[in-house]
Amino acid sequence: MAIEGFYLDGNTSNRVNARLEVYQEAKELVLHLIDDNGHRQTMPVQFDKIKITSRLGNTPREISLLDDQLFITDDNNAVDQLIECFTGSKSHSFLHKLETNLPLISLYTALIIAFIIGFSLYGVPAISKSIAFNLPDSLIENQGSSIAILDKTMFEPTQLDITRRNEIRQFFMPYLDDHKDLKPRLEFRSGMRANALALPGGYIVFTDDFVNLAKSDEELLAVLFHELGHLKQRHITRRMIQASIVTLLVVFITGDVETFDLITGLPTLVLDLSYSRDFENEADDYALEQLQHYNIPLESFALIMQRLDDYYTKQAVDDQSSKDAAQADKKTLPDFLSTHPATKERIRLVEKFKKLHADDLP
Amino acid sequence: MNDVSAGVDKPHQNETKTLNFEFRGDGMEYFKIWIVNVLLTIVTLGIYSAWATVRNKRYFYSNLYLGEDNFRYLAEPLTILKGRIIAVIAFIIYMAASALFPVAAMIFLLILIISIPYFINQSLAFNNRMTSFKNIQFRFKSTYGEAFMVAYVWPVLGMLTIGILYPLFFVKANKYVVNNSAYGTTNFEFDATYKDYGIIFLTLIGIGAVASILIFALTNIGSQATAALIPIIMVLMYFGLIVYFIVATANLFYKSVSISGHNFDADLTIQGMAKVILINAFFTLITLGLYLPAAKVRMTKYVSSCLTMHVDGDLNNFVAAEKESVSALGEEIGQVFDFT
Repeated sequence: MAIEGFYLDGNTSNRVNARLEVYQEAKELVLHLIDDNGHRQTMPVQFDKIKITSRLGNTPREISLLDDQLFITDDNNAVDQLIECFTGSKSHSFLHKLETNLPLISLYTALIIAFIIGFSLYGVPAISKSIAFNLPDSLIENQGSSIAILDKTMFEPTQLDITRRNEIRQFFMPYLDDHKDLKPRLEFRSGMRANALALPGGYIVFTDDFVNLAKSDEELLAVLFHELGHLKQRHITRRMIQASIVTLLVVFITGDVETFDLITGLPTLVLDLSYSRDFENEADDYALEQLQHYNIPLESFALIMQRLDDYYTKQAVDDQSSKDAAQADKKTLPDFLSTHPATKERIRLVEKFKKLHADDLP
Repeated sequence: MNDVSAGVDKPHQNETKTLNFEFRGDGMEYFKIWIVNVLLTIVTLGIYSAWATVRNKRYFYSNLYLGEDNFRYLAEPLTILKGRIIAVIAFIIYMAASALFPVAAMIFLLILIISIPYFINQSLAFNNRMTSFKNIQFRFKSTYGEAFMVAYVWPVLGMLTIGILYPLFFVKANKYVVNNSAYGTTNFEFDATYKDYGIIFLTLIGIGAVASILIFALTNIGSQATAALIPIIMVLMYFGLIVYFIVATANLFYKSVSISGHNFDADLTIQGMAKVILINAFFTLITLGLYLPAAKVRMTKYVSSCLTMHVDGDLNNFVAAEKESVSALGEEIGQVFDFT
């Protein structure tokens, strides 16, 4: 058997045609160099002193000889035969076989897609949860800078009457005391529409619009429990950890392929929104549990949710009639593109919760 | 007689011929290699990623031809794995430190900032060393000071002068990369000037200004129908400017590189590049990313097909340099901390 190719001596860039003769019975290799004038030069080659690159697609095969000399050939099959002849094994082309078997490729592709979906939906949240709950408390509380940033950008000082604020604080006092381990700090701000937020550092912020929206303090309490649920479940920390894991996953998979941010960004965003809805559900559950625990009517949760929904629908309609049509479209956004679960779902949750705990009720 | 033979030989030696770059890879073939890499990386919890990197790079280097000769990627997976492990450990220490002891994180950051120029040098040296053409390796040799200027001083000067010195940053950065690179013992040269890059930047500003005036006019005098056109015009302008910038800087770069009298040339076009980007983006989106490997092949094929080398005589007289070993640490640190 003879393998045609060319030879480079490793000292200069001058390429010489060459032929590697393989004597299968004698297990000998001889390299013939043939220059432009037809002059031949022969050199014996020892199989155990050479290094053959693994087969990779249709790329030329490189055989490194002693002292940086190199023999290159396009005849991949012949090189595979040569290796088999000298080693007696076929394992050298394992990767190449994996990479050329189309049915298997389809199988891995399906497996990888299934893995990525499964890992994103179940693996990432589970891992983040266990990391977040194993972190020292000092770390969790150390993230108090975001309220300062919001104060500089979005928030305005509250316009609420001081007596009204004190009323709410007074009403919340026993419940906040029961959550001392979370070190919650209640704050009032304006500058944002009706909203309540749990921020790093244990801050729970109620906006003025939101306080005015509620018709009773028990409705406010339902939302306080929801926000305490976020703190209790360490949602902020978990969200940060989840984002890091997703980034790592993307890097792993796209690896050496340069990507546009849009292509990796879009699925990452959809995933983040799905995590966000999971957290909202967890916080809702916590709120209902707490209401139940303190014997406060669960309806207050459903009521405030309905009020919020009406408020935002009205806002959207107002916006539409003025200029920003895009805002109104938000109403019709599909579930998977939303940060919060649909209000109907959240109200239905109350009914479900009631049924589930019908036995516990006095 | 001597004169005659010299007369015959000489014009033959100085004949200029044009060699084409060509990428002979195939999208489907690379997809299969890539998906096996992803599979094995997942199964080995990431350890295989070093082998995957080598296989990916080998595919792209070995399929790139200049004339009838191909490039090679020489790195060993274990070298890359070592660098990667150290880089990841450093990153975890940094993350943990910044969460627990803000002061330690500041010190770490300071050390990182000071060492970035060193790592950039190391990274370029590693990549050049691991690239070979006709069995001769490339090299890279620079000083800490030069890397420091390119990493910090020139970009900051560009910003402080509201962009007036920004073209100079491009000149300096490319000079730093090209002039310090060598093929064997022969250095590359880069001869683009401040003016060359200045023209590209001025064109960008000019087109941007004209488009802004157009949009401004449409918003003020236009009806409902023309108002709807504004977002479309803005997206088109933004896309067009990006493609123009990529094409113009790539062409200028390759035209400005030479090595011992041999020159490079490039004729990428805005239409050609825009077509490749749009096709790639479309298929990648509808396949949820599975088209990425084929997209990379398409892009490499296009760019390679636009590159040529005007060879003075032939490329047979380059000489290899002495061997030196470079670790992959710089490259891997650069990837983990995202500065290369």
